[in-house]
Amino acid sequence: MRRRTRRAAPLALLGVAAMILSACSGGGSGDDPTDGAPADTDAPVTISVGGKPTTENPEQLADFERRLDEFTADHPNITVEAEETLWEADTFQALLAGGTMPTVMQVPFTEIGALIERQQVADITDQIEGSEVLQHLNPTVMDVVTDDSDRIFGVPIAAYTMGLLYNRALFEQAGLDPDAPPQTWEEVRAAAQAIDEATDAQGFGTMTLDNTGGWILTTTSYAFGSTLQSDDGATATIDNPATTEVLEFYRSLRWEDNSMGSNFLLNYDDAVNAFASGQMGMFVQGADNYSNMVVNRGMDPQDFGVAPLPQTDEGLGTLGGGTISIINPTATPEEIAAGLEWIEFRSFQQFTDEEVAVANAEAAAADGLAVGAPGLPVVNAELDAQYLEWIAPVINVPRENYELYLSTVEDIPLIPEPSVKAQELYASLDPVVQAVLTREDADIDQLLTDAQGTVQAALDAG
Amino acid sequence: MVALDDPPAVAHRSSPTRRRQRSPMTWLRRGGLTTLVFFLPLLLSFAYFSWWPILRSLVLSLQQTNFIVTEWVGLANFERVLADPLLLTAVWNTTYFTLLAVAIGFPVPILLAVLIAEMRRTRGFASVLAYLPVIIPPVVSVLLWKTFYRPDEAGLFNTILGWFGLGPLPWLNDPNLVIPAIVVQATWASFGTAVIIYLATLMTIRTELYEAAEIDGASILRRFWHVTLPQMRGILLIMLLLQLIGTFQVFTEPYIMTGGGPENRSMTLLLLIYRYAFVSGDYGRATALSLLLALALSLLSAIYLWATRRWSTS
Repeated sequence: MRRRTRRAAPLALLGVAAMILSACSGGGSGDDPTDGAPADTDAPVTISVGGKPTTENPEQLADFERRLDEFTADHPNITVEAEETLWEADTFQALLAGGTMPTVMQVPFTEIGALIERQQVADITDQIEGSEVLQHLNPTVMDVVTDDSDRIFGVPIAAYTMGLLYNRALFEQAGLDPDAPPQTWEEVRAAAQAIDEATDAQGFGTMTLDNTGGWILTTTSYAFGSTLQSDDGATATIDNPATTEVLEFYRSLRWEDNSMGSNFLLNYDDAVNAFASGQMGMFVQGADNYSNMVVNRGMDPQDFGVAPLPQTDEGLGTLGGGTISIINPTATPEEIAAGLEWIEFRSFQQFTDEEVAVANAEAAAADGLAVGAPGLPVVNAELDAQYLEWIAPVINVPRENYELYLSTVEDIPLIPEPSVKAQELYASLDPVVQAVLTREDADIDQLLTDAQGTVQAALDAG
Repeated sequence: MVALDDPPAVAHRSSPTRRRQRSPMTWLRRGGLTTLVFFLPLLLSFAYFSWWPILRSLVLSLQQTNFIVTEWVGLANFERVLADPLLLTAVWNTTYFTLLAVAIGFPVPILLAVLIAEMRRTRGFASVLAYLPVIIPPVVSVLLWKTFYRPDEAGLFNTILGWFGLGPLPWLNDPNLVIPAIVVQATWASFGTAVIIYLATLMTIRTELYEAAEIDGASILRRFWHVTLPQMRGILLIMLLLQLIGTFQVFTEPYIMTGGGPENRSMTLLLLIYRYAFVSGDYGRATALSLLLALALSLLSAIYLWATRRWSTS
């Protein structure tokens, strides 16, 4: 026994050394894989793709697998390894560090700026040029994934603009016309008062936590006439009259009308739950929330209302959001090309192939999912109109309720998020919104001056 | 404490005569290798899951990295941490939280343990009751308390206040109430463990001491002061230190209940570290602040042990 142990010991020691060495080699810097020869699109290549539906959604999973089989049949040289990986702010860095980020995965619009800035996403400009469909995406939406030197870093696969969500049932209870949602901020204020008086719900609400307070303040500032950062991202412009006006608007609703409820520490889920359960009459949020509210949270489809974000005379437009498919920054040109093939097949084939469009829509409707929910088209207007025509008989969303939103969605300019350190900017604005909502004597000018200083310092630090 | 006790013992063992006998061969012959092999799993686990990450964070604090391209930046991360105006807010909030949490959370379990120890028949039941909150998963209990603290009339605490014609109070929405409110929750959630430990210590105090004190005519309070407390001082000192270190690292409660708000009034150091790392993706700055916090806590512990060294050696 003893002898055997002795002989095993040096081996074990070797094992330790190997382990430590392998650990040391992790996290090292890689070479830029995009340099060199152009992609060979016929060579065998293996890619991993995130976003595979989980087993709790058997219908979606079956649909995904069916599409995956079709893709593999169409592209025999591409092996696709599907995984369930989804974007999470606190695990994404670990995916990168551990080298386990899939070749293709989806991220929200809000993140792409920072990813481009930190070079954590592949430049796909060269490979995207070869794709017919991807050349015809909505230019407004493509701006989001394009940097100053016209390099492209992702494919938007779903988009929306920020709008004013309102509960149609509460509008009716308050004697308001649900088909004529507020179009000015004065009308928003009046509607909030009416709802607050006539129902148990709060009239208006806004999120304040986890950077959402700053996000919505930024969105609303656009509607009041100012961005919060210069176009080149070098200068913060937080301390501006439009943002002051937004905060004054919050203050009137909170302290004069008392129509914003009593809890002012709301994160995204808190606000969305309050809205879907009929406790909040209106709030500013992505206009694509139909599925989230109705399918995921059980809101009555007829209660969900969405209006364009009201604009003042100086209003610049609204902020946009959505989902972007990105490619792993360490992917080879071949993997990037294969990844783009998959993205095109999975997210865009319904715009070019009627059969696929109808089959997808029917499968979704059969699973109780929303077909035809309001959003911002990611393809150009022509392709989108054709697609809607194809699936018209299958649409199960009351699109007539969003008449005003759908007829104006293309008219209101889409303003991108601050290009540099957007999340830090939002983080600095959360406390400003919280202050105005929790302290009657909050000094708005001082708060904005302080936030301006903090954010400018962060921008200067680079 | 171990560190203070060790030096003389080590000096004794490694006296010149002993050291000469310990050649590698004798070490081998006495089964040193076997010991090492048995020791390996432990060594490996610690190395891989504890020491390596510590070393890695030391390195990371001197780098700016996106995990693809890594750049050495010297002490720049530390400079940026120290220049952040939020740091002072976080230090103040954390200190305030710690002082309040210790002021409430330290004496309460001692008193409860003494009371429970006095119970004859219901002692077991009472200790189970005291320990129950610890069994609830932290996130669940924090979310539960978040609804207790609802700022409208429907909140549990506001309903109770309403019975007496008071409130409603905004609780977590109030910049001045937010830290005390979190402290109450944190104390409720964690005091059970301390009660059980104190209870175990109380059981080891010899009853003759109390009997003697009673014969001398000591009141309950005097018996507590002159017998119970001195007998428990070792465990009290350690528990206080652990509580200081633990509460200084408060994270779950403000993260879930308030996200650091309102107006950063519940922004703690760990929440700030979390923000650096997972909101800004700035791992350099996050590890730099982590190291500063670790350094501050080590210093605090050293001062504490030094200041109480006479009291703690019985």
